[in-house]
Amino acid sequence: MRISTPRGGIEPFYFGTSTKPLFGCYHTPLCRLARECGVILCYPMGQEYIRSHRACRQLVIRLAGLGFCVLRFDFYGCGDSGGDFEQAGIGQWLIDISTAISEMRRRCGLTKICLVGLRLGAALSMMAGAERGDVESLVLWDPVVSGRACIEELMTRHQETLGDSPTKIDRHGTGERQTEILGTLLTDSMLTDIAKIDLLAVEKKPADDILIIESHQEPGTTRLRKRLESIDVHITYQHCPDHRVWSEKLYKALLPSLVLQSIVSWICQVYP
Amino acid sequence: MKEQVLVFGKTNYLVGIVIDPPKVESNNHLSAIIFLNAQGVHRVGPNRLYVKMARKLAAMGFVTLRFDFSGIGDSEVRADNLLFKRSIVEETQEAMNHLSAAKGIERFILIGIHSGAMNSLKTACNDPRVLGVILINTTGYGDKALNSYVTNCRLARIYREIGWSSPQGWLRIITGKSNYRNMLRVVGFQLRRVFTRDRKAIPKTHGSTPDLRTDLCLLARRGAHLLLIYSEGNPGLDYLQAIPDDEIRGPRSRGTLRVEIIPQADPTFTLLRTQEHLCGIVQDWVQGVSKTDSEYKCAQLLRRER
Repeated sequence: MRISTPRGGIEPFYFGTSTKPLFGCYHTPLCRLARECGVILCYPMGQEYIRSHRACRQLVIRLAGLGFCVLRFDFYGCGDSGGDFEQAGIGQWLIDISTAISEMRRRCGLTKICLVGLRLGAALSMMAGAERGDVESLVLWDPVVSGRACIEELMTRHQETLGDSPTKIDRHGTGERQTEILGTLLTDSMLTDIAKIDLLAVEKKPADDILIIESHQEPGTTRLRKRLESIDVHITYQHCPDHRVWSEKLYKALLPSLVLQSIVSWICQVYP
Repeated sequence: MKEQVLVFGKTNYLVGIVIDPPKVESNNHLSAIIFLNAQGVHRVGPNRLYVKMARKLAAMGFVTLRFDFSGIGDSEVRADNLLFKRSIVEETQEAMNHLSAAKGIERFILIGIHSGAMNSLKTACNDPRVLGVILINTTGYGDKALNSYVTNCRLARIYREIGWSSPQGWLRIITGKSNYRNMLRVVGFQLRRVFTRDRKAIPKTHGSTPDLRTDLCLLARRGAHLLLIYSEGNPGLDYLQAIPDDEIRGPRSRGTLRVEIIPQADPTFTLLRTQEHLCGIVQDWVQGVSKTDSEYKCAQLLRRER
C-alpha cells in the first residue's frame, strides 16, 4: 500500500488525440490512504448520460474520499468530448476506454484498474475488459445485457417524452428522423452495432472480480450472472431497489444513495 | 476551433469549457456568449444543446463559455452561505470578469434554458455589461396574485383548446378522471372576469417580489437586446402574455425584443428538427445583435476621434 500526501480536488482536462479529444475529470485521493487501484467511470450514453451525471459524480467523490484515484470521462461524441454522437460508435467507444486506461496509468502509476459502468457504459466496460484482458475488476451497474432490448426501451421512452409535451406532437408530420432517440441521432451502423450487443455471448473472462448491481431486477442480468460464473469469474450480485436516475425526469436530480453506497463498499472490500 | 477547460472564480471552484473561434473566423467581436445551467443539468445542457449551440456560435466567430454554477456538474460547492439567487448572479459575473481579464471582452450575451433563462435575466438586470439575453422556455415568476392569474389563464386556455370540444374530454368529466377543482377554479375565474369591473386588469407584482414583466421592461429601457424563445404550448408563454402590450410594444417595434415560438417542440427540444430550428434562430439573432453592436461601437469611435 502506498501512502501519499493528502491532496484534493478535481482536475478537469482534455486527453486523447487532438482530432478526437476526450473530456475527463481526474479525482485525486482525498485521504492519506492511497489504494492500489485506479477506478475509471464509464458513463451511459445520450440522454441517460445527462440524467445520471450527478449520481456518477457523487459516486466518484465518495471513492476519492476513501483514497482511490478516479477518472471519469465523456465518450467521444458525448458530453464535452469532441465530435457529434452520430460520428461515434461502439468501436470508437471501446478505443476511448483503452485511451482512458492509458491516461489513468500515466497519471497515477497504478496497474490495477477497476472499471465502473452504468447501463451501456457497463456493457462497454465488460466488452473492453474481455478484449484487453488486463482489467482487474468490474462494476456493472444496471448493465445493458441485450442491445436490442435497450434500443426498444429507449424508443418507448422517446415516445413517452414526446407524449408528455404540453403540445400534441404529430411525430409523422414533423419530419422526425427514423433513428433519432431522445435527442440524439443514431446512424444505421450505430443501431446495428448496438443491437448486436449481447453480453451473454461473452467468451473471454472480462475481469477477475465483478459486481453486478441492479436497481430493478431483470431476467437478463440473472442469465449474465450465470454466464460469467461459468467462465470462472468471481461474481457478487446485489439488488438495491433505488432511483433509476437515467430514466427519471430531466430536472429531478435524484441520487441513488443505496446503490452508490453499495458500489463504494464493494470496491473498498476488494481493494482494502 | 479549440475547446479548453476553464477553472475560475475566487477560489478556482467553477469549471467551464471555453471555445475560442478559429482565427480566420474571428472578426474581433467584443462580445462573448455564456451559457447558464438549465436547473441541475450540467453545462452540456438538455439534449447536449449547449454543446451544439456553443460550437455553432464559435464557428461564427464568437468566444463561447458554458460553465457550471457551484454545486452543479463539475463545479465545487461554495464555502459561504450565499443564497442561490445571489450566487448565480455573482458566479456569472465571475465568468464575465474572467473573460474580460483573459480575452479583453467587454460585452456579453447570456443564454439559458428554463431556470437558466431566468438566471440570465437576473444577471442582466444587475450587470450593464450584458448586451443581450436569450431566454429559452423561461419560467415565469411573480407574486402569488400574478402566479394565480397566469395559472387560471393557462387552465382556461387548455380547457378551451382541448377540453370542451373533444369527446375524450367529456368522457373524462363523466368518468371522474377530470380535476374538478381546477374546473371550478376556471369557471370562477371566467365569471369574475365577466362580472367585475377590472376584468381586463392583470395583477401587478407588489413590493420587492421580482417578476418577469418588471425585469424585461427594465432591460428594454436599458436598450438590451432580448430574444425569447418558447416551445409551442410552453407554460412560460402565459407569463409573457400577462405583460400588457403597451409595455413591450416599443422594444418589439424597435427590434430589441423578439419573441419566437417553435412549433411541435417539447420543452427540452427532443426532436432534432426542433433543435436545428432553435439553433437557427439563435445564430440569426446573435449575428444581428453583434452587427448592431459593432455599428454602434464604430459610430462611438468615430465620434470620439472627431
